[in-house]
Amino acid sequence: MRSKAKLGGFTAALLAASLGAGALSAQTLSRKIDLGKDSPVTLVSDSWGDSNVTPRGGAYLVDVHAALTLRNSGQRRIRSVTLAVYAQEVTPGGKGSVSVPSLDVAPGETFSVRVDMPLLRPLGAAAGGPAVEVRLDGVLFDDLSFFGPDQLHSQRTMTLWEMEARRDRKYFKQVLETAGTGGLQKLMLDSLARQADRSQPGVQMVRGRSTNTELEKEVQFAFLDVPESPVEASSGTSRIAGNEARAPRFDVHNRSNRAVKYLEIGWIVKDQQGREFLAASMPAELSLAPNQQGPVAQDAALRFSERIAIQSMAGFVSGVEFADGTYWIPSRAALDDPRLRDLVAPSPEEQRLTQLYRKKGLVALAYELKKF
Amino acid sequence: MIKHTPDTDLALYCAADLPVWRRTRVWLHVRACDACRARMQSFHADRRQRLGGAEDLPEGLDWDRLSAEMTANIHLGLAAGECVAPRSRRASRQAQRQAQLPAWKRATEGLAGGWGIAWRPAALVAGLVVVVSAAWWLNVPRADTEALSRVMHGIAHGGRRSVLAEDPPGPVIEATSAGVELRENGGALQVSQSGLHPLTVSVSVQGSASAHYIDTDTGQVTITSVYAQ
Repeated sequence: MRSKAKLGGFTAALLAASLGAGALSAQTLSRKIDLGKDSPVTLVSDSWGDSNVTPRGGAYLVDVHAALTLRNSGQRRIRSVTLAVYAQEVTPGGKGSVSVPSLDVAPGETFSVRVDMPLLRPLGAAAGGPAVEVRLDGVLFDDLSFFGPDQLHSQRTMTLWEMEARRDRKYFKQVLETAGTGGLQKLMLDSLARQADRSQPGVQMVRGRSTNTELEKEVQFAFLDVPESPVEASSGTSRIAGNEARAPRFDVHNRSNRAVKYLEIGWIVKDQQGREFLAASMPAELSLAPNQQGPVAQDAALRFSERIAIQSMAGFVSGVEFADGTYWIPSRAALDDPRLRDLVAPSPEEQRLTQLYRKKGLVALAYELKKF
Repeated sequence: MIKHTPDTDLALYCAADLPVWRRTRVWLHVRACDACRARMQSFHADRRQRLGGAEDLPEGLDWDRLSAEMTANIHLGLAAGECVAPRSRRASRQAQRQAQLPAWKRATEGLAGGWGIAWRPAALVAGLVVVVSAAWWLNVPRADTEALSRVMHGIAHGGRRSVLAEDPPGPVIEATSAGVELRENGGALQVSQSGLHPLTVSVSVQGSASAHYIDTDTGQVTITSVYAQ
């Protein structure tokens, strides 16, 4: 009888110890918010909910769940904000970012940003420092001016989003004016249907050589010509083995009269069943003078699920940044191309407006479009 | 000096219960030894008298019942003796009893009849399993468990599929309709936005992936990105 009691007590103690270890390992998160000197946004409040730090192998898993309320302390309206979230800058998994596009925050107004992100921090990293640091990477204003350190190239990304937003708002307003609410409603329903039908098969991306041991073959890219594009892509190839494509390279020709310093190419993959999907974007920093041609190459590999065997590939120029700081994006007419229409994801602004239509209806959408 | 036959042998000789060799030896001895022959004849007489008396047993005596009662009394006596015997003696008797059993019976007794001894280690093992499972569930992330499962699966398949064949070396960015995640060395960091489903996901070959979420209450779009380097 006594031995039974001893055994029960021993088991209960071990169980309690293990439960205690689980609870103790989730430590309270030490954090820092750095919005920068002379920042046009200031922190009003922050809530870190159930954020915690848990030891995981040779690192800490920093699980961030924060809600920040920021105020526009500047004189211009804010269109987008990007916050960089760091647990450790140089470790893979040590940093992430949260962007909020399609804003319209007047001076003095507040807005909120949710940060939900797991990050890794090495065990020995900067003892005593904050486990997680939120920094302002950039703010984009309504006049397309920018503030911030731009360490994550958020200026370019947010400017492209804002240009897409302006393009789409202009298009929807035009439809509202010419075809009325009926025309706008048809547009919204089409967009919602496309978003629902758009296939997004899982894709893995790894920099450098992957581990596929199947025999490779070189496959040519078929480029979709967007007539208005200032840059034309041609003679592209990639190495393909089964469900993996790697090392894309192609030639680009600047057919505009301005120097190009950055471009993005959409990488379309077609499988053996004839299904097409936008697999990835291929950004490239380059220096291309007017009417000049140059090569672009990426040391990266894409891998799809084992059910997908890559049959062919295509590409199209989806964005260009000129050396003078201006940008080009495809027009709505170009995106209405039957082949692109179902592949290209809607812009963040179109996503926001279609959700507004779905939740609040046509009147609310029309009111929103008339705001600016 | 003549060595006389012991009384036990003489009694057994009278009942014809001695083995052949010892019976021959007793027979030769009693032929030559008057004293032993006289004792043997007294055993014979006594045996005849007892056998005659056995015929006068009470009527209706149930031999089977009598046998069962005697057996039960013997077991009771042995059990009572075990209770008062010292611990070491009990253990050695138990061991002797086990050793006398055939191997197959020892095995089955260990499972069924031997439960009185085996339950303690079994309970201890069960307790440890519960504790280790609870500690694992509380402390080890799901991704690590999955990675370990992949490794064990590889080992179970004779090492034909290595972990590297599933995950290339270095950080891997993955985008699915469920969201984006960064994987390295079998571990995974999956980004999710307060239980929301991403509207779109995208991958950049420069080493990042993004997921677009929309807050259904405020209509605000949030784009979360992870970076491989």
